[in-house]
Amino acid sequence: MKQIFVLAEHRKQQLRDTTWEAIAAGRKVAGEFGAELSCILLASNPDGMADQLAKECPKVLVVDDPKFETFNSDSFIKALTPILKDRGPFMLIMGNSNSVIDLAPGLSVALDAALATDCFGLEVQDGKLQALRQIYSYKVNSVVSFKDAERVVVTLRAGSFPFTPVAGQTGAVEKIASPLGAEPLRKRFLNYVEAEKGDVDIASADIIVSLGRGIGDEPEMEAFESLAETMGGVLACSRPIVDKSILPKYHQVGTSGVEVKPKVYLALGISGAFQHIGGIKGSPLIIAINKDPRAPIFRVAQYGIVGDLHQVVPALEAKIKELKK
Amino acid sequence: MDIVVCMKWIPDTSEAELAVDSGGKDIKKDNLDYDINDWDRFAIEEAVRIKEKVGGKVTVVSVAPEDAEEMLRESLARGADEAYHLWDDTFEGSDGYAVSRILAQFIKGRPHDLILTGTLAEDDGGAQVGGMLAAMLGLPSSALVSKIVIQDSKVTFNRELEGGLYEAVEMDLPAVLAVATGLNEPRFVSIRAVRKVAGMDIPMLDLGEVGLNEAQVGSQGSRIQVEKVFLPPEGEGAEIIKGSPEEAAARVAEILKEKGGIG
Repeated sequence: MKQIFVLAEHRKQQLRDTTWEAIAAGRKVAGEFGAELSCILLASNPDGMADQLAKECPKVLVVDDPKFETFNSDSFIKALTPILKDRGPFMLIMGNSNSVIDLAPGLSVALDAALATDCFGLEVQDGKLQALRQIYSYKVNSVVSFKDAERVVVTLRAGSFPFTPVAGQTGAVEKIASPLGAEPLRKRFLNYVEAEKGDVDIASADIIVSLGRGIGDEPEMEAFESLAETMGGVLACSRPIVDKSILPKYHQVGTSGVEVKPKVYLALGISGAFQHIGGIKGSPLIIAINKDPRAPIFRVAQYGIVGDLHQVVPALEAKIKELKK
Repeated sequence: MDIVVCMKWIPDTSEAELAVDSGGKDIKKDNLDYDINDWDRFAIEEAVRIKEKVGGKVTVVSVAPEDAEEMLRESLARGADEAYHLWDDTFEGSDGYAVSRILAQFIKGRPHDLILTGTLAEDDGGAQVGGMLAAMLGLPSSALVSKIVIQDSKVTFNRELEGGLYEAVEMDLPAVLAVATGLNEPRFVSIRAVRKVAGMDIPMLDLGEVGLNEAQVGSQGSRIQVEKVFLPPEGEGAEIIKGSPEEAAARVAEILKEKGGIG
């Protein structure tokens, strides 16, 4: 595996944070392998973004085509396949964003590459790459290897590879003619759609009481509403609560929902899927109450109670009322 | 409209106490309940709704051990027209790539205008099968899809991006869509519906009947190999507050007061 490639992700002409995290991972693996690190940018009017990348990456491959204005798995697979396949054994690193979730599986098949998604660690052992992932509702860690694959694609969990700028480099920018022909794409971006706004804006709340699957199928919502009111906070939730129509979508916390940064985040019955944790990582105080001592939410929380919500929630509200007196 | 729905049968680990098995490469599963992967429940519901609207046929298929027949029968009760069960002992240990190959081999010989899957399976968290299957069949695909509308030979839908943003997309059929949870409300399955499909035949196809060989499936046909699995330490990161519910609640209330968590 001689070449390490990072795919730059962008939206509305801005590079996304996942790109820098992928570069951080690329630097680590390239260092351990003694390999060359290159960044690939497929964009429309790419020059500004290419300059930014060249400050952090020794080589930037750039393809300029209006079809790359949005991150479209159809055009990206068509373009990346010939560009990468010509370059011998390689590893391609991307952030595990919602766009890459769309792209990575089909791209790996087109490249004839092994794929490991949502990795939060990468190690080189005896000259071979191993990736660390989580399985079984994020409760079990798994170390995977790639057999003798000459081409490997990995996607990274957000926040796993913090990026530190080294700026000052002037990476070589190589422009590549767009491999896309005139034929129309089978998948066409129409427009962006903003999520429906509700009567509560959880993004601006200082105190959030958030509900997850662990509150049960027929939850006693009054108890949670009452606790949130006593705390002076708002109710939010994880994805399954919206799926069950217990709360509307604009209450959903997570990378696919609303990203929040309250002073206090109280997580009730939330296990902590990566998309949820991605949406609360800026909160300075996370307290989790969950029946399951291995729930991944405890890994990001400062304090936890392992227990039954039916008992803890009323007791907590009573104590808070006492303290407010 | 011929719609194929790919489903997964997974152990329910959300509330269970888990332990690593003696081989060190998987967890002990003997005491776990199995269920349909939650994301796939939305895929079958969406398929049946599309059929009810534009007509056609819904076929469900799963690469799964024998006890998964329960899931396939439930899918028939939810409104699917036929179900196929793909299993052979050689399928054991297949990764996302090998599973996609089995499904692609099954689907390519049948009519398919639209293929639906869930975006993610909660057991391996791979989010791979939809996109891989599409690439193997030479079809366009998308993941995290909701609000699906079929019009003539096209489908339009919304796709989740981050921070509450979606993109509206149009795609030519045939296509593969990996759906997001929450795009519909899966229907209640009545006893009557279950009874109605009780006698329906669910063919089980083995390796040869699917049309593959041993090198293409199971761990041999996989591109990823599990080296080991392990449980992260309990309560890693958080200070776990001990005591009765009242004692623990009292301590949390104090912490909240100190840190400004009582507005």
